[in-house]
Amino acid sequence: MQLILSWPVRLLIVAILLFSVAVDGAGYIYRAVNHYPPAGNVPGLPPNYFGWQLYIHKGLDLAGGTHIDYELTNFPSGQSRADVQQRTIDVINKRVNALGVSEPQIRGAGNNNDRITVDLAGVTADQAQKVIGRVTKLVYTKWVKDSNPANTSGLHPGYKPQLVGLTGDDISSASASIDQNGVAWVVNITFNSGGAQTFDTLTRNNVAACPGDPGTNPNAGCPERFLTIWLDLTQEDINNWDSPGVQAQLLQRYDSGGKLLVDAITDTEISGGQAQISGGAAGFTQTAANDLATGINSGSLPVDLKVLDVTQVGSTLGAESVKLSLAAGVLGLTIVVIFMMVYYRLPGLLASLALVFYAGAVFAVFKALPVTLTLAGITGFILSVGMAVDANVLIFERFKEEVRAGRTIPAAVDAAVRRAWPAIRDSNSSTLITCVILGFIGPPQVLGFAVVLGIGVVASLFSSIFVTHNLLAIVLSSASMRRTALLGADRARIT
Amino acid sequence: MLESPEDKEAGVVSADEPEADVEDTDEEAEEEEPVEQAAPQPPPPIEKVLAPQRVRKLDIVSRRNWFFLLSLLIIIPGIISMSTRHFLLGIDFAGGTEFTVTFTNNPSVAQVEDGVAAENIDGTVISTGGGGYLIRTPPLQPAQQTTVLNDLSERVGPIDRTKLSILEVGGTIAGETITRALLAVVAAALAILFLLAIRFRNVPGGWRAGFQFGGSALAALLHDVFLLTGLFSIMGAVLGLRIGEIDSLFVTAVLTVVGFSVHDTIVVFDRIRENLRVSQRLSFEQVVNLSIMQTAARSIITSFTVVLVLVAILVAGGATLKGFALALLIGIVSGTYSSIFNAAPLLVVWRRLQPVR
Repeated sequence: MQLILSWPVRLLIVAILLFSVAVDGAGYIYRAVNHYPPAGNVPGLPPNYFGWQLYIHKGLDLAGGTHIDYELTNFPSGQSRADVQQRTIDVINKRVNALGVSEPQIRGAGNNNDRITVDLAGVTADQAQKVIGRVTKLVYTKWVKDSNPANTSGLHPGYKPQLVGLTGDDISSASASIDQNGVAWVVNITFNSGGAQTFDTLTRNNVAACPGDPGTNPNAGCPERFLTIWLDLTQEDINNWDSPGVQAQLLQRYDSGGKLLVDAITDTEISGGQAQISGGAAGFTQTAANDLATGINSGSLPVDLKVLDVTQVGSTLGAESVKLSLAAGVLGLTIVVIFMMVYYRLPGLLASLALVFYAGAVFAVFKALPVTLTLAGITGFILSVGMAVDANVLIFERFKEEVRAGRTIPAAVDAAVRRAWPAIRDSNSSTLITCVILGFIGPPQVLGFAVVLGIGVVASLFSSIFVTHNLLAIVLSSASMRRTALLGADRARIT
Repeated sequence: MLESPEDKEAGVVSADEPEADVEDTDEEAEEEEPVEQAAPQPPPPIEKVLAPQRVRKLDIVSRRNWFFLLSLLIIIPGIISMSTRHFLLGIDFAGGTEFTVTFTNNPSVAQVEDGVAAENIDGTVISTGGGGYLIRTPPLQPAQQTTVLNDLSERVGPIDRTKLSILEVGGTIAGETITRALLAVVAAALAILFLLAIRFRNVPGGWRAGFQFGGSALAALLHDVFLLTGLFSIMGAVLGLRIGEIDSLFVTAVLTVVGFSVHDTIVVFDRIRENLRVSQRLSFEQVVNLSIMQTAARSIITSFTVVLVLVAILVAGGATLKGFALALLIGIVSGTYSSIFNAAPLLVVWRRLQPVR
């Protein structure tokens, strides 16, 4: 037990104490240094200490927001799934940035790189899904004759669209603006060099499609001259073009559930890679134009996304849970401290001090790592307080026995720590193993709990063995403290 | 230094005394324990008169069959309930959409039910108090969700959007959660069996003894898992109480109980290991009983502190945590019981069937 009472260990304890005070009090240190009041809103919080932002990171169930699990389907063949997943994450990231969410978390998951989970604070599920899922792939088509006699109505009767190999991927940037007449919102797009070339060829061919005057009756006369922009139109949609109901569905505007964006006649060849998408007869609203520009800018998703589950938590719902859980935690801690002091007297008091040290250190670790706290995580923390007491109880019960067996008090403390150690080690390592298994094998919802409980177990071991024992040794070095009544060992003598 | 001589005369201890000390703890209700400690001590003669009688009552090992019976009486109905009635599944496992809504006008259950029925979405309504309701439906698209909420606020009353929570779980995720939860329990149990076998292989009997210790701890652990899940099956599926619902937090609770149960058992076993070394003139039964007595105070005090914390959560914590806290409470009480009354006596039985020497 020489190790426990050695100076390096005591220095370590002091270092952890200073670290905890600095991290836990980071906000207050910042306020004090900048002469801000100790409470209320002040600019610059949480403070940034050399790139370290120290504050409690709240999970969505506490902060409010939306969690979505997506499954990725239709992987493009011949590409590494991990790369595709990463590209998808990048695209989602860009789209989400438009929402202005703080700390969006978009992570890959799944055994086969086929999952992505998205956590967005302060956003409703509806908003999130619109931004992530709705605006996807911009697709250009031209029109070709349809051999199916059933095709007698729709946008261009007797014709069906054909993909031309030009998509949103060929666009280098897009922006929303008012058109040159100053009335309607349009989206200006700039093609990359490959896209510009394709677009140039396409428009040239279109203009040359029907020689003569296209202006007289363009719709009836020459569907080949039309260039149409769709969102998300797939080859499958075109194959089903003549099935009943498909056209009607597709031809609705994209913001009413269809896929048609613009169907425009080509008047002139467009070279130079600049084009404009107008909203057609109805025009774009400012929001619609902006959404579309954002969607195009963030690129298209290389895969299809399927929503597996969605969790949306209201903003104050979480705050209430925090309040209740913290109240429960403080209440629990207080009861434990009172109990320990009544039952174990002086050692109980020292163990309670160690417990406060423990709580402070654990919170500092949560802030510094950072660990995202969820409701289950807070419970894990409260629970680990109970476990933190356990090692002390083992030692103190053993201490009573050793005093009863006739040892002097300092010797009894030493023997108690030494003899209680195997039980403490084995029992805590079993809990730690459970935590690791929970974290790796258990369902993702319990990860936060496992991490918090695991950190709590390690910290509680340290505080109950090292801190309590050192405090006891220091206090017991004064002879006036070595009284059985103070140490709660008197009962042992009477029986 | 005046106190030192007094320290040293700490008393000649007879073999029975540790048991006499612990037996108080055992007989009294847990809540009375601290009060007892603070109160003035009864004069020694009375203790001495009472001691012999009480010590006999504490022979846990020889009464083991009664304790096994008690455990079976609770577990068997639970197992029957689990196999015939299964569980009341929470949204995580059942799949579907769950709205947690708070109406600011505090409508009655019937009003909300009417509003939901008008939506034709096959929804069920559960009141959570204070105008709060849980509405569960089969999976809905985001657009449908928005429509439902708008309609409800029109038909029933204004909805507090800051307190709104929507949970949507597809069948894939629900199935995965169950698989991974089961896998985690099995993995944790196996890991603990081997950890104990390794830790206890140095008692007389080597690896075989190690696995006896590990196996007994595993049996106590399964006792706790079956007791907890069985009680929740009875509460949820038979009695229809919402607190008996099984969700991913419940899985967390079960796994925590696994850790805790072993925690308690190891403390007893560790003492058995130590006593086997120290007092070689005692029979195995006597060693086990002595060890149980010596650790009972600690087991009960530790569980008691955790129980205090859990009762605090149960009373003051958020509604979402109540079922979780109750599960932990049952599990931890069961864990302490099984480590004292099942695990160690089981070890004795096992040793008899398969002697190691």
